[in-house]
Amino acid sequence: MHTINTWLMQFGRAVGGIVGVLYQAGRDSVDQVIVNILPFMAFIALIIGIIVKTGIGKIIAAAVAPLAGSLIGLIIISFIAALPILSPLLGPGAVVAQVVGTILGTTLIASGKISARYALPALFAIDAQVGCDFIPVGLALGEAEQQTVEIGVPAVLYSRVITGPIAVILAYLASFGLYPGY
Amino acid sequence: MDFLVTIATGFIGLFQAGADTFVSLVTGIVPLLIILLTAVNALIAWIGPERINGVGKWAARDGLVYYPIRYVVFPFLSVFFLTNPMAYTMGQFLPEKYKPAFYDAAVSYVHPPLGIFPHINPGELFVWLGIATGIQKLGLPIVPLAVRYLLIGLVVIFIRGIVTERITMWMWPRENEDTAVTA
Repeated sequence: MHTINTWLMQFGRAVGGIVGVLYQAGRDSVDQVIVNILPFMAFIALIIGIIVKTGIGKIIAAAVAPLAGSLIGLIIISFIAALPILSPLLGPGAVVAQVVGTILGTTLIASGKISARYALPALFAIDAQVGCDFIPVGLALGEAEQQTVEIGVPAVLYSRVITGPIAVILAYLASFGLYPGY
Repeated sequence: MDFLVTIATGFIGLFQAGADTFVSLVTGIVPLLIILLTAVNALIAWIGPERINGVGKWAARDGLVYYPIRYVVFPFLSVFFLTNPMAYTMGQFLPEKYKPAFYDAAVSYVHPPLGIFPHINPGELFVWLGIATGIQKLGLPIVPLAVRYLLIGLVVIFIRGIVTERITMWMWPRENEDTAVTA
């Protein structure tokens, strides 16, 4: 009898633990959606609404299509985004990357003005500046010394000028056969 | 009067288009996102993020063999388990000279997995989703794009880690000479 009781208790505890973790995970995910995701969806939906309804989208599409619709153009975009003067300014919250990505996606790619296979290199082209605004904080989180921060900030910024365009070229090569016929 | 009504209709129409987009985003993406986030959050809680500390000690070693660990495996695990921005705290396990390159590799991997692991950076989901929405509107599947984005991302952070490490090494002794001269 006693062993059965102990066993039942252990079993109950294990089940309780699993349910507790899952419940907490659910609570965390709903929090994340409400705090981080829904506000940005509202912001993006407003931008898309304005772009689509006012016809600004067509103007932007006409202006950007030649640049975003070719490998050279995407390399130029990534190079500009990675310039050490610009990259820290374009970084915060990835807002620029998100808005540019949404404009590219909902106007140019959706209308077929840019071939669907350019979606992959475009993802890297608009994001060459990722994290460039955050280098000192990121290094501090890694408990870096002052000297490391002083060298690390320019090292990452210079590196992006090289690796930004390389990322676009790699993504372009990897996009063969992604969407055959488009 | 008719003129005013026309203007007002256009004005409301502007936001109605936004509202329609919002509804399609919320009904199309949010349910899957919540379930996916719940599953991954639970998984992380069970595995325990502290387990990747061991990988950190491994990644800190010199030698060519450890490059893929330092700039592919370690950033991937850090970003997956600790997410943005806590992933960068894993730099504490590395020698000073590798920290900038590790940061570069880790921060460059907070967007490529978003199509499959949105928990990594839910606040910046639209870096991926903006372009993916366009693909969806063409009636094409987005998962193949998500998988390639994730995989190419690994290659990119590997290259980024190596290049940034090289540049850091370059600047490191020169900086020391400068301080030696001024001292």
